Amino acid sequence: MTAPLPESNGKKYDLGFARWVYENVDGGDKLSMCMQCGACSGSCPIGTEMDHGPRKLFMMIRAGMKEDVLKSNTMFNCTSCYNCVVRCPRKVPVTYILQDLGRVAQRLGYAEAKETDNARFAKAFFWSTRKFGRTDERLFSAKYYLSFGVGEAIKMAKANMPVARSLMKAKRMHLGMPHKIKGVKELNAILDKAEEIEKREQGV
Amino acid sequence: MSERKIGVYTCGGCGIADALDMDQLEAAAKEQKAGFCKSHDCLCSDEGVALIAADVAAGEVTHPIVAACSPRVMEDKFRFDGVETIRANLREMVVWSHPANDEDTQMLGDDQVRMAIAQAKKSMPPEPWTEGAFSETVLVVGGGYVGLTAALEAAAAGHQAILVERSDALGGMSAKWSKVMPHLPPYRDPQENPVAGLIAKVEASDKITVMTDTIVTKTNGMPGKFEVELTRAGTPSAETVGAIVVATGWRPYDATKLGHLGYGASPDVVTNVELEGLLGDGPVARKSDGKAVKTVAFVQCAGSRDPAHLPYCSSVCCGTSIKHAIQMVDADPEVMAYIIFDELRTPGTAEEFYRSAQEKGVIFVKGKVEKVDGDLTVTYHDALLGDDIPMAGLDMVVLATGMVPNSTNVEAPALELEDEKLVPLKDDINPAAPIAVAGYKEGVDAPEAPARPEPSMPEGAPILNLQYRQGPHIPMLADGFADSHYICFPYETRRSGIYTCGPVRRPMDMGEAGQDAAGAVLKAIQAIRNVKQGKGLHPRSGDLSYPKIDLNACTKCRRCTVECPFGAIDEREDDYPQVNPSRCRRCGTCMGACPVRTISFDNYSVAMINDMAKAVEIPDEFDEKPRVLILACRNDAYPALDMAGIQRETYSAMVRVIPVRCLGSVSMLNASDALSTGYDGVILMGCKSGDDYQCHFVKGSGLATERMGKIEETLKSMMLEKERVQTMEVSIADSKKVGKLIDDFVATIDEIGLNPFKGF
Repeated sequence: MTAPLPESNGKKYDLGFARWVYENVDGGDKLSMCMQCGACSGSCPIGTEMDHGPRKLFMMIRAGMKEDVLKSNTMFNCTSCYNCVVRCPRKVPVTYILQDLGRVAQRLGYAEAKETDNARFAKAFFWSTRKFGRTDERLFSAKYYLSFGVGEAIKMAKANMPVARSLMKAKRMHLGMPHKIKGVKELNAILDKAEEIEKREQGV
Repeated sequence: MSERKIGVYTCGGCGIADALDMDQLEAAAKEQKAGFCKSHDCLCSDEGVALIAADVAAGEVTHPIVAACSPRVMEDKFRFDGVETIRANLREMVVWSHPANDEDTQMLGDDQVRMAIAQAKKSMPPEPWTEGAFSETVLVVGGGYVGLTAALEAAAAGHQAILVERSDALGGMSAKWSKVMPHLPPYRDPQENPVAGLIAKVEASDKITVMTDTIVTKTNGMPGKFEVELTRAGTPSAETVGAIVVATGWRPYDATKLGHLGYGASPDVVTNVELEGLLGDGPVARKSDGKAVKTVAFVQCAGSRDPAHLPYCSSVCCGTSIKHAIQMVDADPEVMAYIIFDELRTPGTAEEFYRSAQEKGVIFVKGKVEKVDGDLTVTYHDALLGDDIPMAGLDMVVLATGMVPNSTNVEAPALELEDEKLVPLKDDINPAAPIAVAGYKEGVDAPEAPARPEPSMPEGAPILNLQYRQGPHIPMLADGFADSHYICFPYETRRSGIYTCGPVRRPMDMGEAGQDAAGAVLKAIQAIRNVKQGKGLHPRSGDLSYPKIDLNACTKCRRCTVECPFGAIDEREDDYPQVNPSRCRRCGTCMGACPVRTISFDNYSVAMINDMAKAVEIPDEFDEKPRVLILACRNDAYPALDMAGIQRETYSAMVRVIPVRCLGSVSMLNASDALSTGYDGVILMGCKSGDDYQCHFVKGSGLATERMGKIEETLKSMMLEKERVQTMEVSIADSKKVGKLIDDFVATIDEIGLNPFKGF
């Protein structure tokens, strides 16, 4: 069972946070090996989209800046390309750590975690997966756009029309009924089980 | 030697015969009245060497002149017992650096032969100084880890050793350590303290005499014959030793000066040395309430690398804190240890140790600690986050304080010294000067060197209390460390036969210090064995000559006693100089200092350099061929010129090069005499002087620069331009540059015109 996160009592710097991350976050035991070289941040293709690059985020963990770490959008911008993991000279599994930190943030209800682009995208993706067992490009995009509100959704849809036309030309997107996989029910059962296991492990 | 017989052997190999007219070389030799001149196609072949050896054996020649390659190569091939081989450098400095079959090249070659003959006429095979008995005992001062290792190393090499310790027990600082940094593979865990084992070994050795509660109260004499007075509880005893190894170690920096880091504000702010006393098998208990420490922060560079405290890196504190953190985490896995560092310095295998600490979960934070409050809140500036971060809720703060060298005995009062005895402590090398930041290309701005505190007289009594004219202290290099050059001549102090090792020399950990002890002992043994045969020490190791002073001409001006970089010359009761031959490093600085030219070596003198310069044929002014005399330091400048030849760099053939032992051995008279005999210019080529000097004799090149600064007046009285004499700094790596320096100088001479003294 995961240890409860140390209470920060409104403190900006929490002495116990680094150790909690080391011991509880997936791959966190390797975080102690980080020597702050910055190969991860330098390798990150979307580092510019992040509030803090992975290197800085790790330093913030060491400094005990719990709130700032969990509010950051770094974790949700990670595309799991594994560039950083491949390049890290100290073999720190950066991607795993970010993903798990993202889960922690979401679980603890950090607003930023729910409202980031990536979180909306992931939710829409997950909705489509549960419903059809695969992504339906139109419905899944529509669901994602609509999470920003109707007006915004129309703007976004219009902006992406040329992409949609190209996809249709290439037969990567079709009009008509969404395709479904055969075992949607079974897939949902698998996902339910996974969720159950995760909840059990996190002691929620 | 009954009669001087000079024979010239010219070599035609390596392209010499293709570029020079060998008959003309022979003619030059004959004209200088050499006994004979023989030529061979390859003198360094067995046949060529046999040719000379046969003449030597038959008594045909006492001064064979080998006119072939540089004196820096084939030295052992051309060494023959009982005679002095003189070399004329025809290869590197003539045919490899100047166009073949050229009139000027030929003149240069002829002059090389002439100069060698002039040298042979003045040079005698040196007679070594071996008067009286020589001791082979090594005195080791300091009974800590380094001293113990040194004594054991000396004993293992078959020498008697006397180990002197100030306190009442052996072991020193290192005896206090619970565990030590790992020095054996896999370098991951703290190791057992080896000191107890060393003490047992020393006590069991029949070659080592241990004297605790003892200090050295007087040191007189010279390598091989040091007369030391050892005082134990007020009772002096006398010993004669061959060499001295100083291993007086270090003391921690005074933490009471670190108030800004919270020292004194709380009993739970401790230094790393104090923490050693708290470390045991179990968890560490707080000093204030005895509670087990759960969170601890180590503050690195506490006082070190801080111009207001210690301007240098103490080198061991990073490793020590890593060791402490590992020990605490091992004893109690719940301990959270933070190491707050500015720059973590873990050289060599210490990197493994650092990794091991990281794996154990020790948290390393990069930042500069700004303050530590009484409630143990550590505020640091995190450079990577760009923010001041307060770290609250700690149970203990450990200050990683640095090392202060024990280059004096601070437990005893300082001596009152006459000003002139302070000379070597504060004159030529300024311990407060910033040390240049190395490794930056020309034109690229190096970061500013750290500021250093003003030098002050070291507190405390001298360690050895040397009864030398230049004072009782061992000269210090920078920041109070007793050394003469950290990189080029480790262990060598500026007092021959006295070697420093361990943290008194520079900050170091036990692994390095153990090797240091072995190194210094080997140096000491080398000294003992060399001086016994009358041989010189580093850097002219094996040189049999030593300075001889003709007291009839001496004016008691004391320049030699003041300027000797090694304090080898004392003053007698009647104020005449007294050379201590085995203290001498044979640089000849005294010879260059003497205004009346009364100091000389058997095979090296001011007169010899003058005669060599005069042997050169100076063309008259209508030939428009200037002549420039280069007095080149054998250690760096001469090899650089050789190397220029090897790389086929060409430079003006108007120069005539005479190697000198050190620029310090060049007398002002060498320069002024050369100009009065018709040379158009003189270059003194030597090593870099100043605070980051490269002179092998510490201050020889500095002294030369100073002396030549005064030559302007002499030149003025001769109605000559001051540009005619120049000192140049040439390092051994400057082979590509040296040719241009020479050409530029010759161009300057062309501009100001030839020397009007020609033909007089």
